[in-house]
Amino acid sequence: MAVGLRLSSELVAGVLGGAALGWGFDRLLSTSPWGLIVFLLLGFTAGVINVMRAAGVMAKQSERL
Amino acid sequence: MAADPIHQFQITKLFTLGHIGGQEIAFTNSSAYMFLSVAVISLLMIGGSASRQLVPGRIQSMAELSYEFVANTIRSTAGSEGMKFFPLIFSLFMFIMVSNLIGIIPYTFTISSHLIVTAALALLVFFTVLLYGLYKNGLKFFKIFVPSGVPIYILPLVVFIEIISFFLRPVSHSVRLFANMLAGHIALKVFASFIAMLGAFGVLGWVGAVLPLGLTMALTALELLVAFLQAYVFAILTCIYLNDALHPGH
Repeated sequence: MAVGLRLSSELVAGVLGGAALGWGFDRLLSTSPWGLIVFLLLGFTAGVINVMRAAGVMAKQSERL
Repeated sequence: MAADPIHQFQITKLFTLGHIGGQEIAFTNSSAYMFLSVAVISLLMIGGSASRQLVPGRIQSMAELSYEFVANTIRSTAGSEGMKFFPLIFSLFMFIMVSNLIGIIPYTFTISSHLIVTAALALLVFFTVLLYGLYKNGLKFFKIFVPSGVPIYILPLVVFIEIISFFLRPVSHSVRLFANMLAGHIALKVFASFIAMLGAFGVLGWVGAVLPLGLTMALTALELLVAFLQAYVFAILTCIYLNDALHPGH
């Protein structure tokens, strides 16, 4: 259960974080709705990457040092 | 109304401490429960280390158990070098676990059911890892954003996604704890209010109310597990993030 919760929260955080970033971008530069669209997709991508990292499918960022 | 499932998370002002820039700084019930958690932890640890018997008593063995548990967690995930962060991780683990356990007691307030509290804790961990990683690896630390073997024309996009995914760590770190505590306590409250609602239908309703009562008891046991598990997950993720800064390159 702990693993499942961790993976799902990684994905949710990705989408939420992307949406928040895009919303703030739109607010600051009044480019609505493009910032939200682009950052939501980027956030989703980053969330999927984080899920894959958490599941051990993909190499961690720290391995590049 | 007692059946309102959100009411338990309301922050009430106990007294005002002062004003900073026209903004009122108040001592709330949340702060009171934070002090209570710290007091319980201090009592446990000071009381546990006061007698120093070779054969530990009840409180002493609880204190020793919690020390050993956190120390083993750090050693197994971040190596013995991670032990220099033991005070941070032990404080985080004990604070979250004790405040979660206090929150299960009826009529109490759950500190970690507020995003701002868990976000503050997660940001503390995030900045510790970031600053320590920069201090240990220097500017080479930024290489974590640049994957090797990626064609140059999509490299900017990939680096951007990598940066976003790095900055999403504190988000998922804080949202996980917050959402678990919030959802668990709301579910508990909703099922408990079903008992009273069914009871309004008379004798047959009271018989039917046995089902939600059983579920409430089961959920309380589950919440006990979640209270411990989420503190453990928070601590172990802190170790994993610290491990990235401590041991780069593997």
